[in-house]
Amino acid sequence: MARDRNADFNFAGPVRRILLAVTVLCLGLLFLVWRIDSPRVERFRAALTDAVVPSFDWALVPVTRFVAMVDDFQSYASLHEQNRQLREELKQMRAWKEAAVQLEQQNAKLLAQNNVRLDPKLTSVSGVVLADSGSPFRQSVLLNVGRRDGIVDGWATTDGLGLVGRISGVGNTTSRVLLLTDASSRVPVTIQPSGQRAILSGDNTARPLIEFVEDAEKVRAGDRIVSSGDGGVFPAGLLVGQVAVDTDGRLRAILSADYERLDFLRVLRSRPAEAIRDAGDLIVPEAPPALPALPPALPEAGAAPVPSPDPQGLGIAPPAAPAALTAAGGTANG
Amino acid sequence: MVDPVSMTRAGHRALYVALSALVLFVGMLPLSTLPASWPGPDILLALTIAWLLRRPEYVPATAIVAIFLLQDLVTMRPPGLWTLIVLLGCEFLRARVVLVRDLPLMLEWAMVTTVMLAMFGLNRLVLALFMVPQAGFGPTVLQCVATAAAYPVIVGLSHLAFGIRKVAPGEVDALGHRV
Repeated sequence: MARDRNADFNFAGPVRRILLAVTVLCLGLLFLVWRIDSPRVERFRAALTDAVVPSFDWALVPVTRFVAMVDDFQSYASLHEQNRQLREELKQMRAWKEAAVQLEQQNAKLLAQNNVRLDPKLTSVSGVVLADSGSPFRQSVLLNVGRRDGIVDGWATTDGLGLVGRISGVGNTTSRVLLLTDASSRVPVTIQPSGQRAILSGDNTARPLIEFVEDAEKVRAGDRIVSSGDGGVFPAGLLVGQVAVDTDGRLRAILSADYERLDFLRVLRSRPAEAIRDAGDLIVPEAPPALPALPPALPEAGAAPVPSPDPQGLGIAPPAAPAALTAAGGTANG
Repeated sequence: MVDPVSMTRAGHRALYVALSALVLFVGMLPLSTLPASWPGPDILLALTIAWLLRRPEYVPATAIVAIFLLQDLVTMRPPGLWTLIVLLGCEFLRARVVLVRDLPLMLEWAMVTTVMLAMFGLNRLVLALFMVPQAGFGPTVLQCVATAAAYPVIVGLSHLAFGIRKVAPGEVDALGHRV
């Protein structure tokens, strides 16, 4: 009797062996399929994450907030000191704000005078960070916005101050943000003020490497890093961080985004820039065939371009331009 | 009526799954999104092996596959590979439960550490063969060492909190059968 039960417990039966072998085979196959057709499996992964993680939503966010509160409470003791510091900083900030407002007005005026059209129509979707990757070797977070909210793979994500990462993997209600610190993250950047192009490549540390700088001599510690918009993935000009030099003399980036506490993130809806694919048509070849079929279309087609130069040339343009500019300035600020 | 032996077994299986889910859940909390300077131990692996060597019937292979596959998928690992390796390692140990039952903790620890090293090594080897980008060598070794170091702690905690200990010689269950 005891022997029987033992046999049952150790699962030595041949059926169990066969099942085990089948499981091992299936797992191996899954890995192979993932290696061969990664996008399909990754879509499945996104769908599964989408199904599993939001069901923990009720617990993930409160627990995170609670732990953050405990952290904050620990600094309660130094409240007075902190308060004094904050007041001081606030005073400085007011001065900066005043300067910023003046500069903004000046900028708007100059732009209006130049009749500049600001290109990127940036609007954003904000999301709450639900979970992080759960692995020490992967740096990504999960947001509670997804395909439902119109999120598309590749869009840039900021925390309001600096670039955080880009969307990589979209489920119906969740999306994964690959952080700049992840070992597979590569982002084209420009280093200001020298204007050097470089690649910001994550290496699983808090300070990503700056690689492929054209002329490293011109880059100094403390220079600003902004996204360059090369490759058409990110909009240009998003603040990334500052240059620092590590002990090995390599260039690294001190990220502006507060990576210690990512809670709300903004996903920037970037539209793909219009690409100019062919050389301009100097001689219009397609007009003649259309003409015989529709003779009345000719005056309309001819008339259509005529009104448009008028408002630009005459007095209607100046009121329109500042409105567009302030709107653009508003989105850039807010 | 369900007999008490099946009841405790089912209860402990559920407990194992619940604990694993808790470990997964805590790992996913976005407490700090800075990259850790030191990869922590793989608690789930240590927990699974500790329970497996004490009460193999509480840690069925199906539960191991389900939990580790879920972890693979949620934590962005190559799906299937780590589950496969963990399953193989666990079955290797499961076949030696009776042997381990008589070993002192130190020897058991050494054996578990060896198996873990083999598992981490095999994982790296397969990933390298299939040319999958993977974490650096240093962090992986650190994680393996940390997991091995956490093993006795988890053994102690399981004993204290859940009464998971090795079967004593001649021990009988609630129905009077030898375990």
